[in-house]
Amino acid sequence: MTTPIKRYSPFGEIEEVGEGLFRLNVGPQHPISGQGRFIVLTDGERVFDIEVDIGYSHRGIEKILEYKTFVQGIVPVERMVMLDTSNILMGYVGAIEKVMDIEPPPRANYIRTIIMEMNRIVSHLYALGLLSESAAWNPAVFLWTTADREPFLDLLEMLTGARWSYSFFVPGGVRADIPRGFIERLKATLDWFEKRIEVYEEAWIYNELFRMRTEGMGVVSRQNAIEWGLAGPNLRASGVPYDTRKNEPYAAYGELDFKIVTHTAGDSYARGWARVEEMKVSIDIIRQAIDNMPDGPVRVRMPPRPKPGEALFRVETGRGEMNVYIVSDGKEKPYRIKISPASFRNFYTIEMLPKTQEILLADVPVLIYSFDPWFLDADR
Amino acid sequence: MNEDILDRIRSLAGEALVEIKSPEDKRIYVKVKPDAVVDVARRLKDELGFDMPISAGGTDYPKKKVIELFWAIWSSTINKVLILKCEVDRDSPSIESLTSVWPGVQKFERETWELLGVDFKGHPRLKPLLLPEDWTEGYPLRKDFDLKPYRAKWGDRI
Repeated sequence: MTTPIKRYSPFGEIEEVGEGLFRLNVGPQHPISGQGRFIVLTDGERVFDIEVDIGYSHRGIEKILEYKTFVQGIVPVERMVMLDTSNILMGYVGAIEKVMDIEPPPRANYIRTIIMEMNRIVSHLYALGLLSESAAWNPAVFLWTTADREPFLDLLEMLTGARWSYSFFVPGGVRADIPRGFIERLKATLDWFEKRIEVYEEAWIYNELFRMRTEGMGVVSRQNAIEWGLAGPNLRASGVPYDTRKNEPYAAYGELDFKIVTHTAGDSYARGWARVEEMKVSIDIIRQAIDNMPDGPVRVRMPPRPKPGEALFRVETGRGEMNVYIVSDGKEKPYRIKISPASFRNFYTIEMLPKTQEILLADVPVLIYSFDPWFLDADR
Repeated sequence: MNEDILDRIRSLAGEALVEIKSPEDKRIYVKVKPDAVVDVARRLKDELGFDMPISAGGTDYPKKKVIELFWAIWSSTINKVLILKCEVDRDSPSIESLTSVWPGVQKFERETWELLGVDFKGHPRLKPLLLPEDWTEGYPLRKDFDLKPYRAKWGDRI
C-alpha cells in the first residue's frame, strides 16, 4: 500500500483510485513522441495494467479517402507516419495498383525499393534513439541517431525534392527517374553508415549496462505474438520468421536475396537488436537494388477507373506489417478503404503484457518504446 | 486457386457458407452466415491453422441495407490470408464477437463498433477508442454520415 497522496510527477498526474491502486497518467502531450496516453495502474512499483488511450490525433483518414480520387488520396495517407512516409504510401499505392490491375515498370520497382529501404533505416534510427532515451541510458545515442539520419534525408531530398512526405510514388510507378550523381552519393553514404552501425553495436547493443536494462524485460512468447497479432521487428524478435518483403514480395523484393532477422528471446533487448540488424539488411538490399537496377520507363499510365472488386495489400513498414483493404465500386473514388497499421496492433500487445508477467513501473517507458509505437500511425 | 483448401473450407463450413473464392494465390475470401461466424472461425483456426489476426473492419451498403464485416487472418503455417466475411442487418447490426477465437481482433472490433455502430456481443471492452468519449454525432464511417456541419466549419476540402 502506498500513501494516498495526490501529487504531480514529470510524467503527469498521479491520482488515487480505489483499493490502494494508483492510476498514473502518462501523456497525452508527447509522452515521448506523438500525442497519446498510457493509463498505468500501479500498486507501488508493481504495474497491474497498462491501457493505451489513442485517438488524440484521429483525422478520419479512411473517411477522407472516400471523398478523394485515388491520386488525391496520396497526400492524407502519407501523413500517417512522417518518419516512414514511403513505406506507408506503398501500402496505399500498392492496393490501388492491385484493384486497377496495373503493374509498375521494373525500374520503378527498384527505385521504390531503394527509397523504402532508406526510409526504413531513417525510421529505425529514430526508434533506436527513442529506446535509448527512454531507457535513460545515454542521451547521446539519440543525438547520434538524429544526426545520422541527415545524410539519408539529404539523399531523399535530392531524389524526391522533400525531406518528408515525398508523394513520390504514384499508382503505376514513381514520379521521376534517379538524378545524376545520386547513386555515387548513396554508395558512399552506405559505406559510411556501415561503419556507424559498428559503433552503435559496440557502444550500445553489446554494452553490459544496456543489456542489464533491457534483457528479460517484456517477454512476448512466440505463441502470444501470433495470437495478439504483433507486427514487424517485434514479431520477428519473438521468433516468428514473418516478413512481408519475403513472404509476400512486392516492389523488387522478390528478385533480391536477403535474410529475415529473427531472434528467439522476445524481450526488449531482442527488439532493439533486431532493428540494428535490420538496418544492415537494408544496406544489403539497397546495394543489390543498385547493382541489379534495369533500364526503362519509370511510370505507366493509370486507367481512370478501376474494375469493381476488392483487394488486400500487405506491406512491411518500419514498424511492421501494414495492410490496406480496398473496396471499389468502379468509380474514380474508392468505396471503402480500411487501413490496418502496425502500431495499432502493437499497442494491443503492450496492453496485454502486464497481464502475463510482472512489470515494474520503472520499466514501463523502456518496455513501451522497445515496441516502437507511433500514435499517429494507430490513430489515422 | 487453392482448390484443396477451398474444398476443406466448404466441408467444414457446411450450410453456413454463402460465398467462397480465391482470386489470387495468397488470399481466400470466405463469406458465411452471421449466426455461424464464431463456429466457423474456431474451426478455421483449429483445423486449417489461421491463427494471426491482421485486420478487421466493415463496409456500409445503404442500398442493400447491410453492413459487411470482415476479419483478415494470416496463417503462420500455410502463409495465406483468410478474409472471413459476413453481412449483418444495417438497422440493428449485431454479431457475436470473435475475440474468444482470436484475442488480437479486440481493438479492431472496438474500432468497428465505434465508427460503424456494429454491436459485438461478448466483446470485453466496448468503449470509445478513436473518437472523443462524449461523441454523439453518429457513426462516421457509415455512408449516410452527414458531413455538412464539418464542411461548414472546415470548408469543402473534404
